[in-house]
Amino acid sequence: MTPVLAVEDYRLEYASGGKLLRALDDVSLEIGPGEVLGLVGESGSGKTSLAAAIMRLLPANAREGGGPIRLKGENLRALGGRRLRDVRGRRIAMVFQDPATALNPTLTLGRQVSEVLESHRGLSPKEARAEAIAMLGHVEISDPEALFSRYPHEASGGEKQRVVIATAFACHPDLVLLDEPTTALDVLTGARILDLFRRLRAEIGMAGLYISHDLALVSQIADRVAVIRGGRILEEQPAASVFRAPKHPYTRLLAEAVPRSDRRLTKDEAGEESLIALDAVSVRYGRRGLFRSRTTVGAEGVSFAVHEREILGVMGESGSGKSSLARALAGLVPFGGQIRFSGRTIAEPGEMDRAYRRAVQIVFQNPDSSLNPRQRVREILARPLRLFGGDVAQIPRLLEEVRLLPGHAARFPHQLSGGEKQRVAIARAFAARPRFVICDEITASLDVSVAASVIELLLALRAAHGTAYLFITHDLNRLVEIAHRVAVMRSGRLVDLCPVTSLGGDQAHPYTRQLIAASSPSVSQ
Amino acid sequence: MSGRWLLRRVLLIAYTLFIVSLVVFAITQALPADAAVVILGQNATPAALAAVRVRLGLEDPVWLQYWHWIWPALHGNFGISMRTSQPVAPAMFAALGRSLLLAGGAILLMLVLAVPLGLAAALGRGKPIDLFAGLVSYLGVSSPEFVTGTVLLIVFADRLGWLPATGYVPLGQNFLAGLGHLILPVATVALVLIAHVARMLRSEMIDVLASDYIRAARLKGLSWRVVLFRHSLRNALLPVITVVALDVGYVLGGIIVVEEIFAIPGIGRALIVAIEARDLPSIQAAALIMAGTYAVVNFLADIAYALLDKRIRYE
Amino acid sequence: MSELLRRLLRTRQGALGLVLLAPVALAVVLGPALAPHDPDAISFTTRLTPPSLRYWLGTDEFGRDLLSRILVGARASVPMALGATLLGTLSGAVLGTLSAYLGGRADEAIMRTIDAVMAIPALLLALLVLSTLGGGAEDATLAIAIAFAPGMARITRSVALAARQQDYVASAIARGEGGTWIVFREMGPNVIAPVVVESTIRVAFAVMLVATLSFLGLGAQPPAPEWGLMIAEGREYLHQAPWMIIAPGAAIAITAIGFNLLGDGLRDALNPRVDR
Repeated sequence: MTPVLAVEDYRLEYASGGKLLRALDDVSLEIGPGEVLGLVGESGSGKTSLAAAIMRLLPANAREGGGPIRLKGENLRALGGRRLRDVRGRRIAMVFQDPATALNPTLTLGRQVSEVLESHRGLSPKEARAEAIAMLGHVEISDPEALFSRYPHEASGGEKQRVVIATAFACHPDLVLLDEPTTALDVLTGARILDLFRRLRAEIGMAGLYISHDLALVSQIADRVAVIRGGRILEEQPAASVFRAPKHPYTRLLAEAVPRSDRRLTKDEAGEESLIALDAVSVRYGRRGLFRSRTTVGAEGVSFAVHEREILGVMGESGSGKSSLARALAGLVPFGGQIRFSGRTIAEPGEMDRAYRRAVQIVFQNPDSSLNPRQRVREILARPLRLFGGDVAQIPRLLEEVRLLPGHAARFPHQLSGGEKQRVAIARAFAARPRFVICDEITASLDVSVAASVIELLLALRAAHGTAYLFITHDLNRLVEIAHRVAVMRSGRLVDLCPVTSLGGDQAHPYTRQLIAASSPSVSQ
Repeated sequence: MSGRWLLRRVLLIAYTLFIVSLVVFAITQALPADAAVVILGQNATPAALAAVRVRLGLEDPVWLQYWHWIWPALHGNFGISMRTSQPVAPAMFAALGRSLLLAGGAILLMLVLAVPLGLAAALGRGKPIDLFAGLVSYLGVSSPEFVTGTVLLIVFADRLGWLPATGYVPLGQNFLAGLGHLILPVATVALVLIAHVARMLRSEMIDVLASDYIRAARLKGLSWRVVLFRHSLRNALLPVITVVALDVGYVLGGIIVVEEIFAIPGIGRALIVAIEARDLPSIQAAALIMAGTYAVVNFLADIAYALLDKRIRYE
Repeated sequence: MSELLRRLLRTRQGALGLVLLAPVALAVVLGPALAPHDPDAISFTTRLTPPSLRYWLGTDEFGRDLLSRILVGARASVPMALGATLLGTLSGAVLGTLSAYLGGRADEAIMRTIDAVMAIPALLLALLVLSTLGGGAEDATLAIAIAFAPGMARITRSVALAARQQDYVASAIARGEGGTWIVFREMGPNVIAPVVVESTIRVAFAVMLVATLSFLGLGAQPPAPEWGLMIAEGREYLHQAPWMIIAPGAAIAITAIGFNLLGDGLRDALNPRVDR
């Protein structure tokens, strides 16, 4: 039986600055009819290059070598021009990571579906329109005819991704490439998209290549899983066993690094006394222009307390208000209500004194914007040290504490990797010897293995200094691993607050239960 | 687009025109020339001068003088020229018409040349056409109009004798001769426009072609022609509208010089003549009309942009 | 400084810009010393001679050597352009930063007014100001500075706002840093760089404006060897002696292109993310 896709000893290099950088090294894989192969790798692993190579859309400085890429026996590398255009969209289709950027903002959503039908299936504009509307209904869009004439900015993330999926499936392709299709979406939306994909797959039975960084997720979707790193395929196994019994050490590393709800990384208990408490805190954002004022609610009436040495997890989708809370606690935005700390009551950022600022620190999500690009690491660290009674001489020790080398002090942020930058941000926070650190989605933009090491670092620092954390994330499994209690936010309100052990229990709010169901379950359950 | 959005825009342009009129009035108020002296001559008695000043309203408080100027101006009456003793408005508006012809021709020429040039440069990045376009851009942006205009005069009118050097013939009178007189000035003004627009279009087009949605369109197997025209062009052209609208400002400045060089009796020339003669009402009229035209053009461009870019409508 | 120079030379535009501006700088600093003839020396026997070995760029209607006049004329045009841009940038930057700092209604009111003033094209505004000030070199500098200020205010404000929204500023605020530290040590270096780039490019425009104003008779006055003025004087002799126009025209163009390229080069050289 001819495999739908067969890559045989394929090699890819990029010419850059006079050198050749190896992107893919003797890569071979096969996808049989009706089969989904998961391709798991972190950034720089070559997974995106492989997708580009299969679609034959490589940058100008790409140099190919090695064996053929066959689609149902036909070597795609030998095709050009017109024949290639026939293959793209009709026989191979792609679903992208970020639907917001994959759709043309100046064309209607419906047009972007129907043009594929006109181009590849030779339908007339009227036929294409009707068929497109049918397809939109098929991907569970509630009012397909209305959506047809709307523009991308008028649709939600989930709707946009469904349109992209509809476009991909419109011509009943032999092979569908999916490049992290749920990464840019909310937890609940992403889960529904995956359900849709499973349903379509069962109906149509086409072959697929599912690219992702999430080993646990892929093991749920795919039949077989291949692990790629540094341009090489390290391991290939049936999905059922790759997570439980990884063969290659790197696969084991990835499996270990994925947040799992059956594992506990925080070994001790939290303290009893309240360290910092929020009392009916609300955050409003306003735009006071000349013509009108517009206020949006960030958070409303939130009350809870964080105990000594506690890790309090805050979970919610985008727009839930978790970042607003972080900013209020850090004194970055004005807020209503009160914050109680160390016997004092604080009603606005102006009342936060030096002692508060020292004891309460914040680490942001994106290290690219949280580190001043014009300051070297040592300048970034020197300031908080000096401000809070430390000494510049402590920089090497501080770097060592966050597992960085003394040599890093002389570097600029852009010379560091994502994980290293985040460690500098953490070092900056700990330079003040804080009692409470707010972590605002600090691992969201990091690779799985890098994120795991950052989490490990956080736990080690807590063990050494007794710091409490407010850990904001959208990954529920991560909270189950490390948090003592979990707060669930939705639309600016605190919806649930419970010990992590009773998270899935009967007292849980329905929304919490939805979130739990949508999070990738641990495979070994 | 929403009525509220439109209302905001109208209020803004009204405010803009108000500020512009204030600036024009304030600056020209400082003019050292005394209108009374100009009218009666140097040897008039102080009493006569005082009487004339009162009659001209020069002794009134400033805001009243402003009002006496702006109210009739809004009705199209700009007073009497101190140089010709004729009403300012008719001559000014006639001059404006000729300038608009010049400006319109320049914009037309720009569209015809800059759009293909910018596109070709973006598509042939790094190739000779791109370098050529880059050269044109730098030259256009670095040569003041009076240099380019004079050089064009030297080459085409003086050395080659293909085109008349200076002067103006109304198109209604003799179309071909009129056109001949307009070619060099239009080309001079257009050069700066072409430089800006081609450069902007090239850079926008390169960004668009590198974007995810274009990659997605190509991966859908659409033909290159469709990708270019249906998907790319309109996205790249949108910001260009803003540049063209802003450039009308350059055009208005350039027109002053170009009309001077080529002796075209447009509003720029009228302004220079008025400044040299210290003819206050004419200076104010010309300045207000020119700046007002610019404000209106930008307003129209805003509306055009909003009509085309669906995202803005919901502001 | 030498570090900056090195980075600048590594960019194509920066290197080319410096190459073009080197002779200009030389002329500004050493003009009179380098001039082969006295720029004001009148000689009726040698009037309107084409470029020759004795007079490299030819002579004008008074027999004055054009090369000498151009070399000395650099001192008339370039420092004025630099001064006007500097003045305009400083006043604009102060206004723009203030507006960004105030935020809310004040910010919007200031910006709408600036937009309205910007409805008056630069040359027109300069002309209006000059018409009241009377003309002359110093007044022209002031007029151009006034014309530039609104544009620079706009740019400074938008750059300041962008920097203000970065997380490293939030981190500083969370630390309890005072406004002075945040503005000067955190935002400052990130704001100054784009403003420097933009004002360098504006100098090119200022050079052209200075020349244009002189051309129209409202800037430098005869017998000053200002480039724009030389072109205005040369118009009469367009037919007999086109070099009277081409030489100063080329000088203007080279200076303007040089500053444009320099600005483009600075954009890369001042960007910390571009590797050293």
